Amino acid sequence: MSSSYGADAADLVERSAAAFIAAVPEQPADDGYFGPGSVTWRVAGDLSAPVAGLRALLMQALHPLAMAGVDQHSDWRQDPVGRLAATSAYLATVTFGDRAAADRAAARVRRVHEHVRGTFDGEPYSASDPTLLLWVHSTFVDSGLAGCELFGTPADADAYVREMAISAALLGVDEPLIPSDADSLSSFITTLVPRLALTPAAQETAAYLLDPPGMDDEIADLWEEIRNAVLISLPPWALDLYGLAAPDVRRDEVRGALGLLDAVFLGEPGVLEARQRITLRMRAA
Amino acid sequence: MTGRRRLRFARGLAAARLALRGGARYAGNAPRYLAAGLFAAAGEHRQQLREDLALRTAEDVAATLGTMKGVLMKLGQMASYIDDGLTPAARRTLSRLQDSVPPMSPSLASSVIRQELGDAPEEIFATWDPSPIAAASIGQVHRAITRDGRAVAVKVQYPGIAEMIAADLGNVALMRKMLRIMAPSQDVDGLLAELRERITEELDYRLEARNQQLFADYYRGHPTIHVPSIVPEYSGQRVVTSELADGARFSALTGRSAAERDLAAETIYRFVFRSLYEMHAFNGDPHPGNYLFGDGGRVTFLDFGLVKHFTDAEIAPLVSMVKYLCVEQDPAAFREAMVEAGFLLADAPVSTETVIDHMAVFYDTVRTPGRRTMTGSYASSVSRKFFDFHSPLAPYARIPRSYVILQRINLGLFALLGDLSATADWRRIAEEIWPFVQGPPSTPLGEAEVAWRSDATADRRA
Repeated sequence: MSSSYGADAADLVERSAAAFIAAVPEQPADDGYFGPGSVTWRVAGDLSAPVAGLRALLMQALHPLAMAGVDQHSDWRQDPVGRLAATSAYLATVTFGDRAAADRAAARVRRVHEHVRGTFDGEPYSASDPTLLLWVHSTFVDSGLAGCELFGTPADADAYVREMAISAALLGVDEPLIPSDADSLSSFITTLVPRLALTPAAQETAAYLLDPPGMDDEIADLWEEIRNAVLISLPPWALDLYGLAAPDVRRDEVRGALGLLDAVFLGEPGVLEARQRITLRMRAA
Repeated sequence: MTGRRRLRFARGLAAARLALRGGARYAGNAPRYLAAGLFAAAGEHRQQLREDLALRTAEDVAATLGTMKGVLMKLGQMASYIDDGLTPAARRTLSRLQDSVPPMSPSLASSVIRQELGDAPEEIFATWDPSPIAAASIGQVHRAITRDGRAVAVKVQYPGIAEMIAADLGNVALMRKMLRIMAPSQDVDGLLAELRERITEELDYRLEARNQQLFADYYRGHPTIHVPSIVPEYSGQRVVTSELADGARFSALTGRSAAERDLAAETIYRFVFRSLYEMHAFNGDPHPGNYLFGDGGRVTFLDFGLVKHFTDAEIAPLVSMVKYLCVEQDPAAFREAMVEAGFLLADAPVSTETVIDHMAVFYDTVRTPGRRTMTGSYASSVSRKFFDFHSPLAPYARIPRSYVILQRINLGLFALLGDLSATADWRRIAEEIWPFVQGPPSTPLGEAEVAWRSDATADRRA
């Protein structure tokens, strides 16, 4: 197939582009929960975002109950791209949508979460469990910061953590429980590390993300840069659990690869216009 | 999903066919021709001239054109001579990317002028128009009037772009990976070398200024060819100033009478081949955005960012080829010249008839005298032949790197003349220009050239 950049990769680009475009309103009723002056918009648009996203997924998968929720209640094995696209659609809507759109999206996720319950290894779990929600939340926020720091433009960590608290609240976490600065975010993650483990599902997830099947050799070459960037960005305990070593990476090379990926994303119809809507609002802010 | 992908693939194929079909070529790929003429109307490059999105700081420029995007943009501009190798997805990406670059804000453009020319543009020029009138490949064009009253076009480069692109080009491992994805069928190392050489040349406007002045000097006094002179005191590495030119765009020309179109076409034809055979130089960017049209066949040629100079040794076999095929009708000598140029392997096990059969199409318009109308289908048959990897000659044929740019004669010039349905006795015009014939003037335009040629000869002797 010479038309695409590789089956799943092209599919993912196409579907996350569609999600992104749909999430950026043409005539927003309000600035949403973050707004054009926020650190959150800055981080979401950082060149490093794909690395941050993959890092977050790899960290999240290491919590056996969080992983079990996905594994036992979604068809991610049959349609991994669909699952990733749905997540990116949700994140984009909460970030760039107006409040009504963000509320609708969050309500939908909360409804789905109500049915995501079960047991794993004899241990009961529920997707509405604040600890699991906060694990997913904290690793995402932590990854956004790590990505910017390593491969993008560093962001104000405390401000970002503070702003992002609302996204955990939207999913039903009581506000006092949500980390409100960078230190409390780190310590929350650290306290959960002893609970983490590499389950077979986590191993499969990592294998898929780090080495997506069906990529052309040429794409695989480029993906290697991104993968190495993700690995080097992971906390040491995560690498240990996966049994992986931190590779050597050159920042310039990673940024170049991210730039190419971004150019491909920009090549999807409508992405440029959606970005311009964001830029114009950020400039007006 | 599959349905949509198939649709996109089909669109990609359609685009590829369009690219090979002369007539629709420019219409279909208009956005990628960013190195537009100085007078590209505001509407033609909407994105570039959107002031509300203007880049206001060096950081804005880095975010928009850094991390490989500037390189990709340049690759997109050069795509017309690697068209056959680019995947449809790559072509689409490159074309969108070219659309995505906004202009500099007035203050950012002004800061580049200050850096390059030592003072604010309002101080340097009697009048300075802070709004760009056109997008250029890695910069934009402003209008100004000098203190001594000359109207000029000032091309200003995005700050930091040269350094960013140079750094990205230096990232060889990544560049090779990128080219393997975008142009899997191409010789990646050859392409990379060509890209680096070309882009590096284009980043320094001083080279462009030298080339443009060379052409301006050569054609000074020519009845219909006009090349705006450089204003050296307002030119530097990132700013190049030339006299302001006026004229109609290509799109307006297609609505004029056949006689007017023929004259314009003849001027372009003479320009391309006089430059090649006499100056040993080829302006590698023959696309409609780089021409402004006046009456009576007058054409102003703009943008000399991509000029290839040939050595005598490089030109000689080209001249021999045309001579042996079209004038002396000596197939064996033609074949020998092809081998000498490196187009054909010395011991290729193919008959000379086969060689002639494959190559003749490139000389179709000049093998015999007589009026001929250039058509889109001729241009596209030439392109197809160029890209015909299934011909019996293909395994033994090569295009040496120094001639790669000549593909643009086929892709650009013939397509353009086809768009104009230009009619002339191309053979007689060519005979005027061929150094081994130097035939008498064959058209009124040829007559009008006589005075210019004797002046020019006198100049060269002086």
